[in-house]
This record gives sequence, C-alpha cells and structure tokens, in this order.
Amino acid sequence: MAITTTLLLLFIFLGLPLLAILYRITLLIDPSRNKPIRHGRRNIQEPTHLLIVLGSGGHTAEMLSMLSRAVTAPTDPLEPKKSAKLDWKDFTHRTWVVGQGDSISASRAKEFEDMAIPLSTQEDLMVGKVKRATDTGAGSYDLVEVPRAREIHQSLVSAPGSALKCMQACYELLMRYTTETREGHAGVAKQRDFPDVILCNGPATAAVMVFTSVVMRFFDVRGCSTRGKMRTVYVESWARVKKPSLSGRLLKHVVDRFLVQWPQLERGAGGRAEFRGVFV
Amino acid sequence: MAASTTTNNNTSKTCFVTIGATATFTALIQRVLAAPFISALKSQGYTQLVVQYGAAGKPIYESAVQQAKTAGGKALSVSGFDLDKAGLGKHMRQAKGGRAGAGEGVVVSHAGSGTILDALRLSVPIIVVPNAELLDNHQVELAEALAAQEYVVHGRLEDLPGALKDAEALRQRQREWPPANAGTQREARGLKGILDEEMGFLD
Repeated sequence: MAITTTLLLLFIFLGLPLLAILYRITLLIDPSRNKPIRHGRRNIQEPTHLLIVLGSGGHTAEMLSMLSRAVTAPTDPLEPKKSAKLDWKDFTHRTWVVGQGDSISASRAKEFEDMAIPLSTQEDLMVGKVKRATDTGAGSYDLVEVPRAREIHQSLVSAPGSALKCMQACYELLMRYTTETREGHAGVAKQRDFPDVILCNGPATAAVMVFTSVVMRFFDVRGCSTRGKMRTVYVESWARVKKPSLSGRLLKHVVDRFLVQWPQLERGAGGRAEFRGVFV
Repeated sequence: MAASTTTNNNTSKTCFVTIGATATFTALIQRVLAAPFISALKSQGYTQLVVQYGAAGKPIYESAVQQAKTAGGKALSVSGFDLDKAGLGKHMRQAKGGRAGAGEGVVVSHAGSGTILDALRLSVPIIVVPNAELLDNHQVELAEALAAQEYVVHGRLEDLPGALKDAEALRQRQREWPPANAGTQREARGLKGILDEEMGFLD
C-alpha cells in the first residue's frame, strides 16, 4: 500500500514535471516551430538582426568565404529573387561574435562589412518603385568578444568552468537588444530585437551559443520563443566529408538547419543534415 | 601554338610548397627537398621552388636546402620562408603565373581546407598531401573526395615525383570552382536561400 502511494507521489511530483520539460524541449527544437513574422524583406517597422559566430583561423576563414561568395554572387536583373546573391542590407543589424583577443577574426569581420554594404543592389531594384519606404540604409553592426569556450589543449577539469563563463557572455550578448511581444506575436515596431537567425559553423563557441539560445527559448525570455526568434543555422565545415565534427555531432539534433557540404555526409551525419550544395 | 608557353624553357615556372601555419610536417619538407623531387621538377621545366616550412620547420629546411640547391643547379632556384603574415595569396599567384612570361606551376600543400580552397579559386593545379601524423583523418577524406572528382591530385609522400606528373595531367582539364550546381533547384540559391527561409522572407 505504502509503496504504491510513494510511486504515485513520485510520478506526480517528479515524473510529470520531467515529462512536461521533455515535451517543451521537443517543441523548442522542432525546426517547424514559428518563424519571425515579416511583412516584406525591407520593412522599416520590422528591423532584422543576424548573428554570426566566428571561431578562429579555419572557422573564420570558411564563414567569411561563404558569406563573401553569397554577397558577390551574380544577380539576374530579370529575376532578382531567384538568384543566389545575398543582399547584406537585408539585415539591418549584424552581430559578429569573436573569441576573446582574436583580433584577426575581428578585423576580417570589419573588412567584410566594408566590402558587403556597397555591393547591395536592393536600391537599384527599387528605383522608381518604393525606394524611400524600403531603404533601410547601411544598418549597423557590433563586434562582440566572448571568452573562449575551450582553449586548445585545455584540461577536462577546467573546461566546464570556461564553458559556463562563455555561456554567461553569450546570454548577455543575446540580451543586448530585446523588445516586447505585441499582439500577433510581433515585436514592438522599429525596435531592435533578439537575433532572428544565429549563423555558425564549427567552433566550440558556436555550440555554447546555440545551447544558450535554447535555454533562453525554454524560459521564453522576453518572449523570444513566442516571437520565433533565434532560429539556428549550422554549416558543417567543407573539410568534413564522411563524418561530422564534434560540434556537428552535438548540434545535429538541436539546430533548426544543419547544412553539410558533401552529399555523402547527408547520410553520414544523420540527424537533420541536409546537403544544399557547396557554400564555400 | 602561342599558348604552349608552359613548356617553354625561357619562362619561369614555380612550385610552391606549403605546410600550413599551425602544424609541423617534417616529412613533406624533407621529401620536396630530396633529390628525386628536385630532378622531377627540373625535368618538367620548373625554375623556382618556394617552400613555406612553418614556425618549427626551420632546422629541417636548413639542413636539407643546401643539398637541394646543389641538385637544382642553375635551372632551379630554391628558396623558403617560415610564415607570411600577409597570407599565402602572393605565393599562390606566383605559382599560378600568367604575368611577365611566367608559366603556370603547381602548389603542393598539406590538406588544410583553406589552402586547397584558395588554390581551387585561383585554378592552379594543387597536389594535396595529407599529414598522416595528425590523429584526425578527416583531412585524408577531403583529399580523397576532391581527388575522386578530379579537383586535386592526392599526393603520397612516397611518390611525390609521380604526383607531379599527375598534376600536369590535371592542368589539362582543370575544373572550375565553385562547382556549377547542375541546375538542381534546391541547390541553386545556396546560403541566400537558407537565410531567406529562416528569416521568414516570403517574397
């Protein structure tokens, strides 16, 4: 008798909350969850925010290589919407995340910004139509340093500590711009908000950033989950042909999009891996 | 007729060897300075051998370079440097040639993805030699996959002169990078397509 009561109580006070938490997590990491509400690509009422995580060395090089390729891609003037050209002014605010003291990544991000904004063709396309209403200008960007999630050759004992420090820095920078949720789940007009998309490739910092954003969505901090913010895009390194990297293995069931650059890795990685061509 | 300058003895032709910035790759430095590779270079009309040997590679380079210079003689000049803060672009372009009577040479590289990508973009033939000493073998996989698609020559340390011959064959049918996406609709818009979908841009 006593045992059944104990079991029942255990189920009610431990089992049910646990089930509820698990259910909430499955909702959170379901890629078909809400996307941010948008009325048009360039709507001054609805600023956009892209967050890019740069690692160091190879990861930074690959990220900038694919972004450069996207913003310099040719446009077809007849069908501009079907081209692969990324218009950098589509993002009114960009946050670049670099590891602490990584001045090379920081300066490469700056170089990219200086290069990409003049390449915008949106104004040309809009001339004579609704130019003034859609011209959001060059927008703005931040370069933010976070402590490294893992130093090279760091011992396993001190690793959790630095991961936590990195996590706290990620939380602070994700909270840097927030606004309130309005009816219909849109943010307050014209106000900068959470990143719409977190774009990353392999560094450890990226894994920490993604997990931090999931935790924030779990608690729906400032309505970030309600508004469908912080969708996550992970691009596996081009150097990974058959097996994903450590970050890839950690993130393949968590990120909204998991892109691989070799068709054989689509099956090799499992999870949400999809091959949509080479990006670098 | 006029296009066949690469085999002309009067033009320069550079072989640029790079081991990367971080790792050490002693075996590659030794092999490219050894007699078989030097004579292979000479027989294929190379005039310059430039070796980037990395921060820790100086003693190995210096112990072998004198011998290589003697073997190279007048026809082949050998030089080297540890690292170039300005990047390897300048040296890659030297290997690509094309200006002032310079013929197209070759890049011999460790299997670092950045270097391979730079060479593919410049469309200079590249011999990729994976470093077997590194624990993670994903570099070998990359080299194999790219060699299977005939983008690079997968070089083996034991047979670099053979790889140099393969590079001449590769030069004849050098493929363009980035690869054409063969009209597959889902691949056509690349990163832009993904970001549009995730941003919720519906136009």
